[in-house]
Amino acid sequence: MHHRLLLLRRGAMSIPPPPAPRMPGVAGGRLFASLPPPPPLQSPREVHVWYLCPDELIDRSQLDMYTELLSPSERKNALAMNGPRLQKDAMLSRALLRTTLSRYTDANIDPRSFEFKKNKFGKPEILWQSDESSMEWPLHFNISHTSSLIACGIAMDTPIGIDVEEKKRKTVKSILSLARRYFTPLEVDYLAKISDSDAQQREFIKLWTLKEAYVKALGRGFSGAPFNRFSIQLETNSRIQISKATKVCNDSASGCDYLSENWRFALAELNSSYYMSVCIEDNSRGLYSLFFLM
Amino acid sequence: MAALSAVVSAKLACTAATSSLSWKGGRTTTATARRGLVSFRSPRFRVFCAAKAETVGKVMQIVQKQLALGDDVKLAPESKFTELGADSLDTVEIVMALEEEFKITVEEDNAQSITTIQEAADLIDKLAAGS
Repeated sequence: MHHRLLLLRRGAMSIPPPPAPRMPGVAGGRLFASLPPPPPLQSPREVHVWYLCPDELIDRSQLDMYTELLSPSERKNALAMNGPRLQKDAMLSRALLRTTLSRYTDANIDPRSFEFKKNKFGKPEILWQSDESSMEWPLHFNISHTSSLIACGIAMDTPIGIDVEEKKRKTVKSILSLARRYFTPLEVDYLAKISDSDAQQREFIKLWTLKEAYVKALGRGFSGAPFNRFSIQLETNSRIQISKATKVCNDSASGCDYLSENWRFALAELNSSYYMSVCIEDNSRGLYSLFFLM
Repeated sequence: MAALSAVVSAKLACTAATSSLSWKGGRTTTATARRGLVSFRSPRFRVFCAAKAETVGKVMQIVQKQLALGDDVKLAPESKFTELGADSLDTVEIVMALEEEFKITVEEDNAQSITTIQEAADLIDKLAAGS
């Protein structure tokens, strides 16, 4: 039994042409060179991550076509972002999601037709229409972006959380002050022992992305699952371990019943500039290997 | 009378978002009635004050610094952090900076309700008044 984590890069997203007008002899011309169908998600232990760098997508007409895939509310939300760069990132983020989902339904579902709902903590999920019951796919997704990279993780039959961050992201506050305020004592000790400040900063970013990936996989987000109630430990054999911070949990009024420890983590480097953490639920026992395929 | 009006104006420059004044109507409020502040007929009125402009201004400064926003970016009280490009790490740094600046502690359930500059300022004034 293996976990497989595939990291896949897209330079352009494939978009099926809009439904062709009923005119004899006119083929609905393909707008883009299509990407080959993605490798299938073979098991709930497999996660695929597709990512793109917005700075590489500068063709205006291509961007307009991606924008056309979005729902009116997605367009409205994207335009509410402050400035053209943030607006573009927001549009591309939704376009990446829609085109990716479409490809994992064997392109049976047009990217434009997906609908989404949010859980009570605001995590987006696919909303399947009742007349598509034959077309329901047990697909789970999660998106993360930095200013220069947008990633979309896809899994089958398991909730997923993903977080990307620039390795060298500088914080305004010191690493240890952030850790003391938001992390557990165990994690603070781990960071405090690292004497080289660059290395300490990188380990902080790793922990941050892992914790984010976890609370996003749980579907609760940062406010729904405070970071100081669970610890993530990076062990020397590359195992990533999660545990509840029992003292804080016992002391807190709301407790930590929502925290579970049966989650698997993967930590990867992207393009040598980013850390990416992926978290999926783990219901099976046994040994696992993690593969990173580019 | 001077003392009473000083109390009235201090209360009206209120520091909490939802502070309310209720005045039991009647002759005891004669002095303020002359100033047109209260009607005899209505036994109570409520005054809602937004956070002080000063607080909003300071929040804007902190957000501008944290998100490295250029001077060309126009911040408004209703500006949403996410729309300004803040991710969760930015948001926690903003919260920490607000805690240090205003000497307050923001619990996680409160942090959830801070999505705009105005909401942050309202919470700050509420916490600062309560402590």
